[in-house]
Amino acid sequence: MTAPKIPTRPPPGGANLLLWLMGAVAAFLLLFFAITLILRQMPDPIGPRADLFVEGARMTLQLTVVSGVIGLLIGVLVGIARTSGAWLVRAPAGFFVWLVRGTPLLVQILFVYNALPPILQAVGLNVQLNEFWSAVIALAFNVGAYNAEVVRAGILAIPRGQSEAARSLGLSGGQTMNTVVLPQALRIVVPPLVNNLVALLKDSSLASTIALLELTLAGSRVSSETFQPIPTLTTVAAVYLALTTVMTLFTDQLEKRVKIATR
Amino acid sequence: MIKNALLALTALSLLAGAAEARTWEEIRRSGTIRIATEGAFPPFNILKGKELTGFEVDLANELAKQMGVKVQWVTQPFDNLLIGLNQDRYDFVIASHGITPERAKAVSFSKPHYCTGGAIVSKPGGPKTAADLAGKTVAVQVGTTYLENVRKVSGVGDVKTFPKDTDAQAALLAGRTDAWVGDKFTGLDLVKAQKGKLVQGELLFNERIAMAVKKGNTSLLKELNAALDQALSSGTYVKVSGKYFSQDIRCR
Repeated sequence: MTAPKIPTRPPPGGANLLLWLMGAVAAFLLLFFAITLILRQMPDPIGPRADLFVEGARMTLQLTVVSGVIGLLIGVLVGIARTSGAWLVRAPAGFFVWLVRGTPLLVQILFVYNALPPILQAVGLNVQLNEFWSAVIALAFNVGAYNAEVVRAGILAIPRGQSEAARSLGLSGGQTMNTVVLPQALRIVVPPLVNNLVALLKDSSLASTIALLELTLAGSRVSSETFQPIPTLTTVAAVYLALTTVMTLFTDQLEKRVKIATR
Repeated sequence: MIKNALLALTALSLLAGAAEARTWEEIRRSGTIRIATEGAFPPFNILKGKELTGFEVDLANELAKQMGVKVQWVTQPFDNLLIGLNQDRYDFVIASHGITPERAKAVSFSKPHYCTGGAIVSKPGGPKTAADLAGKTVAVQVGTTYLENVRKVSGVGDVKTFPKDTDAQAALLAGRTDAWVGDKFTGLDLVKAQKGKLVQGELLFNERIAMAVKKGNTSLLKELNAALDQALSSGTYVKVSGKYFSQDIRCR
């Protein structure tokens, strides 16, 4: 389990970044340990079912990390494609963003889970998507579309003179992007990307509709078993809050480091 | 400190539960009874387009007619039904709730309005008995007695919980699970509708199904039981039951 948001081009100081990553992993392990301990102390209906909540929280984090990393890759690729000069590259990327951003995430999750397997079967692909990967695909594409717009905005925010200067120095288009534009854009896009990640963690609750036992479904199981929605939903909300708090603690650090590196 | 906060919340939830439910006298005076069901559990309660139909819906309409009040139907996700009842969102719930000790702690049950069992449904060649379920993946609806009873089967593999029964059945049909455990009559309906794609196995357990009113709403409970008794003895029940099952499904 690792914290996501590894920048595509690590800023100078790779050892620093590794330390940060290890810190994030350790913090989440500690968090789960703390959640387990605290929830077990709670009175009925929470205490006896503490492990269910922890299992759900673990699944929620796993879902966020895996789809967050894939979504970041999608976002960078599609975002760069959106700013491409070639119409043939720009159009499919624009279509993807239009399609994904214009439909509800809940519909996308249900579509991937219920409609995609028969469609794939019809074209001869016999893939059995389980609950986890169905949710990951839907969430990754969804956050990917939002990330793409963030990346595009970041690239467009770099003054034209920068790339013109790079080109006049003899750098190729790819080199200009990699060494001049993207490193500068990175500083701009990190805060909104973090924003998307936090939203993703909460959006993963929609995966409960396809019977993926994450935090929200764990909560609704307990709530429907005990008929005590107030303590259950409060616990669920508190655990989400703990997860996002630890996550933003580390992404704030990342933001600071990226800033120093490119100052 | 957190413990205290949670205790306070629990107390708050008890407090929230202490709000007064409408008594029978109040319902009669208003002229309309609010009944909640799920609307996704054929043939007991199912939404066909906008129209709510099914055995329980017809039965409750008949009961209300006998009681001399109009009906206002409310549909809610199954796992929300009893919670909403305790928050006075409606007067009673008729949604195939099996009587269990945990539920009886939260609400008051009427006399049972039918008897049934939880049956195993699978594809031909799939698990048919409780012993067959060992190591298998089973789909059930969240918040149901099927979930509790499947969990009790020793050696059962993964139990997946879906928000609606129809979602759980779809998971079985898509081959995502090895079996679905649900009501035996619903299962029969499903097997018939799927023509050879599914078969029904043995009963996992038997249960008595009843309507629920808010804990302590004795006047409404008494009135409901009286109306049910009347329907059972007058032939109304036989007529409604025959329409859906070609048999009398009352508890014996």
